Amino acid sequence: MYLTEEDVREIAAYTRIALVDGEVTDLKSDLNAIIETLKPITQYDLSGVEPTFHPIDGLSNVMREDVIKPSMLRETALALATSTENGQYRIPTILGEGSNR
Amino acid sequence: MSYSNLSIAAIRAGLATRQFSAEELVQDALNTINIRDKVIHAFIELCPELAYRAAEKLDAALSAGEAPPLLAGATIGYKDNMNLEGTHTTCASKMLENYKSPFTATCVTKTLEAGALPLGKLNMDEFAFGSSTETSYFGCTHNPWDLERVPGGSSGGSAAAVAAGMVTVALGSDTGGSIRQPASFCGVVGFKPTYGVISRYGVVGFGSSLDQAGVFGRSVANVAETIDAMSGKDPLDCMSQDAHAVYSSSVGAGVKGMRIGIVRSYVDADGISPEIHNALEDAISKLESLGAVITEVELPNAKAALSAYHVIGPCEAFSNLSRFDGIRYGYLSPNARNLDELYEQSRAQGFGAEARRRIMLGSYLLSSGIYEQYYLPAQKVRTLITQDYHQVFEQVDALLTPTTARTAFKFGEIADPVSMYLSDIFTIPINIAGNGGMSLPVGLGEESGLPVSVQVIGPQFKDENIFRVAAALEACYPDIARIAPDTSGTQQASQAGGSAQDSQVGGSGQSSPQGESAQASPEGGAA
Repeated sequence: MYLTEEDVREIAAYTRIALVDGEVTDLKSDLNAIIETLKPITQYDLSGVEPTFHPIDGLSNVMREDVIKPSMLRETALALATSTENGQYRIPTILGEGSNR
Repeated sequence: MSYSNLSIAAIRAGLATRQFSAEELVQDALNTINIRDKVIHAFIELCPELAYRAAEKLDAALSAGEAPPLLAGATIGYKDNMNLEGTHTTCASKMLENYKSPFTATCVTKTLEAGALPLGKLNMDEFAFGSSTETSYFGCTHNPWDLERVPGGSSGGSAAAVAAGMVTVALGSDTGGSIRQPASFCGVVGFKPTYGVISRYGVVGFGSSLDQAGVFGRSVANVAETIDAMSGKDPLDCMSQDAHAVYSSSVGAGVKGMRIGIVRSYVDADGISPEIHNALEDAISKLESLGAVITEVELPNAKAALSAYHVIGPCEAFSNLSRFDGIRYGYLSPNARNLDELYEQSRAQGFGAEARRRIMLGSYLLSSGIYEQYYLPAQKVRTLITQDYHQVFEQVDALLTPTTARTAFKFGEIADPVSMYLSDIFTIPINIAGNGGMSLPVGLGEESGLPVSVQVIGPQFKDENIFRVAAALEACYPDIARIAPDTSGTQQASQAGGSAQDSQVGGSGQSSPQGESAQASPEGGAA
């Protein structure tokens, strides 16, 4: 077993996913089963092998000219938000009453 | 008159000679969708207004004497992870149920600029996490060949829409097989180009080092022309490349003298269905008779690709899906009392079970101490797999492999996530290496009556080799059905005639050249 129920709760908190009662047991079992299938990756002899982080050969950082171009209008972006105020996103209070952290 | 069977070339010719108008093409396609999609459920959203507007523009241009552009009149649907302004882009998730695209993906724009007529957005596994389209928040898509079976996934809606003749072509995305596996299950051509050939801009990210957009069509030529319209460097995707290739010119070039590799451990893999094994052997002998040189090659690290993929995929998904916060866009939980609860409840309620599982797995695999055990070795395995392909493609010009170990499975047949992950065993390695691959239907299994396909893989940025092999092989199977019979209970309008390659075949199923019983377990198959 790789993960305990406590681990599952910690991961959920880190990934900002609230868990409901009973879900922890199922998730623990699912995640442990999946991690078990990944075991081969821990068993290969990879000494001297460099990692490859993307599939295109010989490509390093891709830069572009730092030129200002037209982009999405503020109103267009804000139209997707549930709550806005004075041209900005409105979010719940983060300090004081109501905060649990 | 139905036009659903026409090829892109036939549509273009018909428009040029005024046999029909673009408006009639839209009407006909919407009529077909109205009949067939009741039972298939490939579409999440239709956009008739956009389609008629595009048709009006095209008809006006043709009336003004302009030549029809490359995709003129081709009806098209987009996987619902592709932004198209004026439509919702839901990724089949509650998280994005009400998200209306404020912009259009580059690959979508290019098809529209080439004259395609946009019919709507197609169902998928939620955020492309799955191999059956069963994880869609909006319900399953049914396989047009057998409504009790899955269409595959994650681009199941795209494959089913093409197989049912509801669109000429459809776009999808492929992170570990999400184009090729559903294409195989639905008996259509499905192509994932080399990573970088198509811009990813505006396609919602899953695993950004693996994701590549591609095309479903009923013929190799249709797919080639669509890729020709879509490919090229895009300043909005720094990984996009100019491949400098016209893929449609490779269709018909033949395979004489081409070196085609087969991996014996794939062809004879444990768990591979006899129908698929026999279809592969038949395809090999057909290619040989066309003058190709068949060579046995090995991919010694292929086994490692699966576990590498299932490390890299969730890690990148965890990163990509961190953007969904319930504030800027997406689902917002109504009950949150503060910012922490807003994030946690919105993400818990907005994401489905599989998405939550992958996010949490990715987070774990990237955590300190665990990263060194899984993520780093996975990226090293990636080096080995890439080297395998480099070495193989020094010996051969293309590879012929299975797409899947078996034909389409029934709903609920594979319930646990681990078994589901194994259904992409032959498709995953090339996402790791970045090569292009195509699933090509070669008939219906004698025993199963379901589509059987093979996969053609090419060297990086040599996707034209894939088109040469696939087109030559396609010509060896001229009689296979391209559109699944209508099982909606409503008689569909008669099929159109036409000179195009895929216009000669209608709804009747035909048997593949060979085949026996087909009950392999998906857990087998690993080469």
